[in-house]
Amino acid sequence: MISNQILQDTIDGIKAISRVDLCVMDMEGKPLASTMLEVSEYDKVVLAFVDSPAESQVLQGCQFFKVYDDNQLEYVILAKGENDDVYMIGKLATFQIQNLLVAYKERFDKDNFIKNLLLDNLLLVDIYNRAKKLHIDTDVRRVVYIIETKAEKDNNVLETVRSLFSSKTKDFITAVDEKNIILVKEVKQTETYEDMEKTAKVIVDMLNSEAMTQVRVAYGTIVNEIKEVSRSYKEAKMALDVGKIFYEDRNIIAHGNLGIGRLIYQLPIPLCKMFIKEIFDSRTPDEFDEETLTTINKFFENSLNVSETSRQLYIHRNTLVYRLDKLQKTTNLDLRVFEDAITFKIALMVVKYMKYMKSLEY
Amino acid sequence: MASLSLKNIYKIYSNGFNAVKDFNLEVEDKEFIIFVGPSGCGKSTTLRMIAGLEDISKGELWIGDKLVNDVEPKDRDIAMVFQNYALYPHMTVYDNMAFGLKIKKVPKDKIDKQIHEAAKILDIEHLLDRKPKALSGGQRQRVAMGRAIVREPKVFLMDEPLSNLDAKLRVQMRIEISKLHQRLQTTIIYVTHDQTEAMTLGTRIVVLKDGIIQQVDTPQNLYDKPQNLFVAGFIGSPAMNFIECKAVKSGSDILLMFGSHSIKVPEGKAIKLIEGNYIDRDIILGIRPEDIHDEQLFIESSPESVIDAKINVYEMLGAEVYLYFNIDQFDITARVNSRTTARPGDTVQLAFDLSKIHLFDKETERIIVN
Repeated sequence: MISNQILQDTIDGIKAISRVDLCVMDMEGKPLASTMLEVSEYDKVVLAFVDSPAESQVLQGCQFFKVYDDNQLEYVILAKGENDDVYMIGKLATFQIQNLLVAYKERFDKDNFIKNLLLDNLLLVDIYNRAKKLHIDTDVRRVVYIIETKAEKDNNVLETVRSLFSSKTKDFITAVDEKNIILVKEVKQTETYEDMEKTAKVIVDMLNSEAMTQVRVAYGTIVNEIKEVSRSYKEAKMALDVGKIFYEDRNIIAHGNLGIGRLIYQLPIPLCKMFIKEIFDSRTPDEFDEETLTTINKFFENSLNVSETSRQLYIHRNTLVYRLDKLQKTTNLDLRVFEDAITFKIALMVVKYMKYMKSLEY
Repeated sequence: MASLSLKNIYKIYSNGFNAVKDFNLEVEDKEFIIFVGPSGCGKSTTLRMIAGLEDISKGELWIGDKLVNDVEPKDRDIAMVFQNYALYPHMTVYDNMAFGLKIKKVPKDKIDKQIHEAAKILDIEHLLDRKPKALSGGQRQRVAMGRAIVREPKVFLMDEPLSNLDAKLRVQMRIEISKLHQRLQTTIIYVTHDQTEAMTLGTRIVVLKDGIIQQVDTPQNLYDKPQNLFVAGFIGSPAMNFIECKAVKSGSDILLMFGSHSIKVPEGKAIKLIEGNYIDRDIILGIRPEDIHDEQLFIESSPESVIDAKINVYEMLGAEVYLYFNIDQFDITARVNSRTTARPGDTVQLAFDLSKIHLFDKETERIIVN
């Protein structure tokens, strides 16, 4: 991963400071960088050292060290000399190259790139440069899905989603927090939002049956360029929030299908408070008893149809009329009148939104 | 294997929407129970509550002798098969079936044993090394079933598992599932909106509407003895015909009057009308399409139920014919033998099989007599 030139520069620098000769070899004993003129005499010794369980060893007047990448042996470092100072320099060189590995890995890591892309942590110019280096297409259609699990750190979910999409090298699966898994999925030219919905259903059904956990899936709009992926992510995030507030019974929420919840979600809280005070004065909808709330909801469900609502509630028509009259007295809103009904419906949604925002404060 | 007990279960969302209301059901060990009803009736919600994928708002759910309301889905000893099944594309059938067990950290030898047993039951042993793309739709569905079987659950939950398959494959898989139940001898709860699936698979069927159980019964009883108008209309294809009529007393007979027609109610059913004070009241007459006859012999033997009907539409289905006509404002369908000579525009004589009529209370929609 690190170029031989970088390795050479590193050991040259260390030699300039410490005057200790160093050499970096791969696991087959092939020198990748060296400050010594001749190292072929160590070929066989290196192979024996690679096979041995020792982390460092003194052989043929040289100290040998191992450098690991994710527990995988990557390089062997030779430091010429047997004394303690050489041991210390050898150890320092090992530490330096180990860290170089991590830094380079991070730099080229796709997962890291996607995370930073989603979180808007990259400059526009960096997005394209790094995408190019990582061989990620910049101008294909993509959509972002967020998969929210009920339990935090549910590895089964991540594992299942990875297995479901991992064969598609153009899809990326990552996580930016404990509860959410993010899928950045490439979308074919022929695919539509119906296909997005289908994919979401597959994810939900698979996680329900395989990982056996409750999940909620939200997705943003399809974007055409890599720089817009973070927008699709933000949209998915918003859809997830709006779904949690207003559409509790749905486990798939599309940003393109948020209805009136989209508007209410954008309202500033002080404005909401003013509106609610205007509608309910000092009362809140929580103060309505269960019977009243059920009546209101059923009445809305049945498009303000008194006969159908009373039939479904198994009550006499006059009982329903009485309940609606009573509600009118307390709120000055007659739910049989369309305008009042819509005001009431919006007020209920605003209250829900305010409650949700309040819950986030704690 | 286990029994299930749902006691006064409710699902109420925070917006007040009551998706499931006072759901009570005892499921015996090894039963094949079907939840059927129109979309939005609460059947999937109930199944998801059993699975633990939805919280129960009120009530108790028992699996065996354990109250499981607060038990995590993975600890409920259940397995689920859903409509939108997918297989892991890069894994073989074997690995697909093993995946769920591997993440549960089941020992390798046990996984191997369970996969081979499940593969044998499903007759997919020869497919274990194949990748999903090399499988047909039916084979993929079997693998999806296999993933559930290897978990060796106490209860199988299936949510419309066949609705993504084409009609031919669906019939084939229906038979497979039926066989599977016989082989596995386990409890299955199956959700469908397809009444043919419900009637053919279930040992008992739960008919739901608006989150309320309408009737729990065997397929035969649901068909022959519906307890209300909804069940009568929902079960059976073509649906039961309904005619609003008035029960009137004429001498010692009870007649059902509708438009210019009157038919005599058989004695056994007439008693129920008298006992229930339905005389001179509006009721609903229900009759299944196959209980309307056009054979001369039948017409001659039941002259008290003969009506004249002008045929609007004639539908030939090979073994049988559907005749569509009107009695006053009511649309009626008759299912008759394909040898019928009736054609659109003809006025023909048809007779009701009075022993098979169903009478419903017009207000409550409950059955008066089957």
